[in-house]
Amino acid sequence: MTDRTKGTPGARRGPRTPAAPRTAGHGPGGPAGAGTGGLGTGSGTGTGSGGGTAARRAGPVWPAWLWTAGITAVLAGSPLLARERLPDRLATHWNSSTPDGSMPLWAASAVPALVWLAMAVAVILTARRTPGLWPAVLLPTGVVLGGAQAAIVRSNLDVADWHQARMPGWWVAAVLIGATLAGVAGWLLVTRRHTGGRDGGDGTPALEIPEGRRMVWFSRAANPWLQLLAALTGLGAVATLAALAGGVAEPDALWGLFAGLAVASLAGGLCSSVQARVSERGLEVSFGPFNWPRRRWPAADIVTARAERRSPSQVGGWGYRFSGLGTTVMLRAGECLVVRARGRRSDFAVSVDDAERGAALLNALAGRTG
Amino acid sequence: MLLSLDKNDTRPLHEQVAGAIRRAIAEGECGPGDRLPSARDLSEALDVNVNTVLRGLRGLRDEGLLDFRRGRGVTVAEGADARSVLHLRTRELIAEAARLGYSRNDVVDMIRGLP
Repeated sequence: MTDRTKGTPGARRGPRTPAAPRTAGHGPGGPAGAGTGGLGTGSGTGTGSGGGTAARRAGPVWPAWLWTAGITAVLAGSPLLARERLPDRLATHWNSSTPDGSMPLWAASAVPALVWLAMAVAVILTARRTPGLWPAVLLPTGVVLGGAQAAIVRSNLDVADWHQARMPGWWVAAVLIGATLAGVAGWLLVTRRHTGGRDGGDGTPALEIPEGRRMVWFSRAANPWLQLLAALTGLGAVATLAALAGGVAEPDALWGLFAGLAVASLAGGLCSSVQARVSERGLEVSFGPFNWPRRRWPAADIVTARAERRSPSQVGGWGYRFSGLGTTVMLRAGECLVVRARGRRSDFAVSVDDAERGAALLNALAGRTG
Repeated sequence: MLLSLDKNDTRPLHEQVAGAIRRAIAEGECGPGDRLPSARDLSEALDVNVNTVLRGLRGLRDEGLLDFRRGRGVTVAEGADARSVLHLRTRELIAEAARLGYSRNDVVDMIRGLP
């Protein structure tokens, strides 16, 4: 339903949550954390604005710069430090343990370092918009590049000419395993930082369900721009199909165009609206006009649910988004229903109206069955 | 919108479904022009047969609370909020009259007899 304003004349609002109404968060009397930051703030810093929350969740940036500098030093420094024992040209590429590519010493030192620097800086700067994602990318990449550089230097040590350098296969395997471990560690770091501590707890207070009552909650949200896009591309696809049938132009190019337009229309249509419903079956979220695809969380699997204000810039754009905040189905900025499922490290959020009461009902149902 | 059914209610289910939606409209859960969840959605969530839900929805359409539109689904009709409040009060009146031993016709006669 549409976002209702307060005060339908003379109407009882039915069973409301004990929580403050949505608009009260910024007022002087509003309970702490009922506004943008969501309920159940554990970290307790006083920033109330949405931007502040994003920056706070991103964590400090200096470890990223430190890691970048350290890996740069390894990449640039290791060939230089060992230059007494290295040939003039280093073997830098192998084809099944026989070297087939080489670089002068200075290039073997500078090229990987510069590539790494450029990538790391780009990731850190973009990660300011996608909070705290850098460890998931930079940890494994740094380990791969650093490990590869170490392996290159090691295999060129004490050889007279780069053709004699040998790269044992298990070194490659070791580097890849190390990178995988670093990737897992980075991912755990990202998810723990954003989900641990802060909201492991209560979420929205549970709605009181009177004995013998069955309550259900429905909500939806739509993005009119995506609907328009889906309609326009759909029209385009139909027009192309008509042109194909009429034999107007080259069929090959038209088929490609038709496929592109049809896929765009379908994707836009599926992502343009979302329905959420909370019932004794749990939380069900379905997409698009056909209510498909659909995801369901049984009520017993919900650890906690809450309402939170999120914007596309926090989660990295519109649509189905993965970010440091978990998974977000983002159709419009504003109120989102956020749930933590049992056994999951990250949250699932969907932007729908009236999320606070949905969260309250879900918490009540989860408490009843769990 | 939040809907609520009484599990111990003995009235026919389609009346209960209609009652829940009528109450939701009266309480401002959904306003005129809002789209209702589809009958299948309602039936799954309320754990009520879809035909029963449809019967309830048709009853509300006949009361003038809902519009059935092809391609747009079921929407809340203009002025439904005020009408549904009146409907609820009428039902309460009839229930109260029945408790006191008056039939519907007695109530109608009573209303006709008012100046």
